[in-house]
Amino acid sequence: MKESAASIASATVAIFLTGWIIIAHDLSPDFKQSLASLTGNHWISVSVIAIVLFILSLELLIGFKSARRFLRVYDISLWSTSLVAVTLIMVLGILAVLITQFLSH
Amino acid sequence: MAYENWIGHALIAIISLSLVVYVVTTGAMLRGRIKRSSGNIFKLHKKYGIYFGSFILGSFIYGLWIRLQHGESILLSVHGRLGLVILLIVALQVIPGLTLKNRATYRGLHKIMGYALAPILIIDASWGLYNGVIAGTKNLVLFHSISGGLAALFLTWIILEIRYPTQRSLSRARVASYVTVFLVTAGCWIAGGYNYLTSYGFQVKPLILEGPYPWVHEIVMELKEHIFVFLPIIALALSVTLSTLDGDIFLDDTKSRRALTMIAYLALFMVLLMFLMGAVISNAGQTGAEALK
Repeated sequence: MKESAASIASATVAIFLTGWIIIAHDLSPDFKQSLASLTGNHWISVSVIAIVLFILSLELLIGFKSARRFLRVYDISLWSTSLVAVTLIMVLGILAVLITQFLSH
Repeated sequence: MAYENWIGHALIAIISLSLVVYVVTTGAMLRGRIKRSSGNIFKLHKKYGIYFGSFILGSFIYGLWIRLQHGESILLSVHGRLGLVILLIVALQVIPGLTLKNRATYRGLHKIMGYALAPILIIDASWGLYNGVIAGTKNLVLFHSISGGLAALFLTWIILEIRYPTQRSLSRARVASYVTVFLVTAGCWIAGGYNYLTSYGFQVKPLILEGPYPWVHEIVMELKEHIFVFLPIIALALSVTLSTLDGDIFLDDTKSRRALTMIAYLALFMVLLMFLMGAVISNAGQTGAEALK
């Protein structure tokens, strides 16, 4: 059961951090360029980072009992609600940034 | 194909898709594959089966009429041929169901054809969508959209297994989640990403930017390419959760099932959002190409 909620918590963390990376690379051309230089294309870099973040946070949560306890990873309801909320907020946040950029051009 | 005509055909197909999900669900309830809900399930299955059959017949006739207006045979396209196959399956499902007195001998075939109908319908609808929106069908984009359509179907299956659980629901939901992860990762993400990197930027993007709807690239495509990354992670989390979940907890703990349903709904919402954005982008590309002619 601890692993069950751990994967949802890891997805939440990965989406939250990836969302902020996407927003940052939309706002900063230099950051976008540095992401592109990692793999040749910024989209591939963001994709790889998202997967790495998911796997890393999953391993951390499975490996450390204290981290699971601190983040209340046993609570599947809490983390599924968090995953839905974080995903929707990140989608709306990225949309808001893109609309603002389009209108300001 | 005229856009107005095509959109009518597509609307009927979307209603048919919703109806087939309902009919398959009530069929699964009748066979005890998923837990029964209240009410006369057989009556509902029969009633909505007839509605579904009528919509399929209407959709086929509408499609046939549009093709004939352009002097084309319906059997020349794969979409048309699949439509005919669907119509034949529906006839074989509905007519014996209404006429046979002893349905026991027919039940096995009815079940197999019923389960086969949903994926065939999804493939044909995805094929038709891209035929209608992109004029000439590109294989990679087609594979991308069919994978998305099938992923939506598998996610619906997972939701039904979680909402109406029986002893074997968890194992079936696990299998469905593995297929979903494969479809979302290989079919949607990798195939879509490859198309985006090798073709979209050189062929479609300039047409959209030069056309009447440049915001479609600046906002819709940019949003799609970024939030697409979230989808495989959500599908993977759902799959890992289902794989590690204890069978007794799945059956007895309503709270856990509600949590899993939420994640499956989120993944389904994301797939449908991608589908909608894909259609808008393809349509803007075609409009841009026509405007530049």
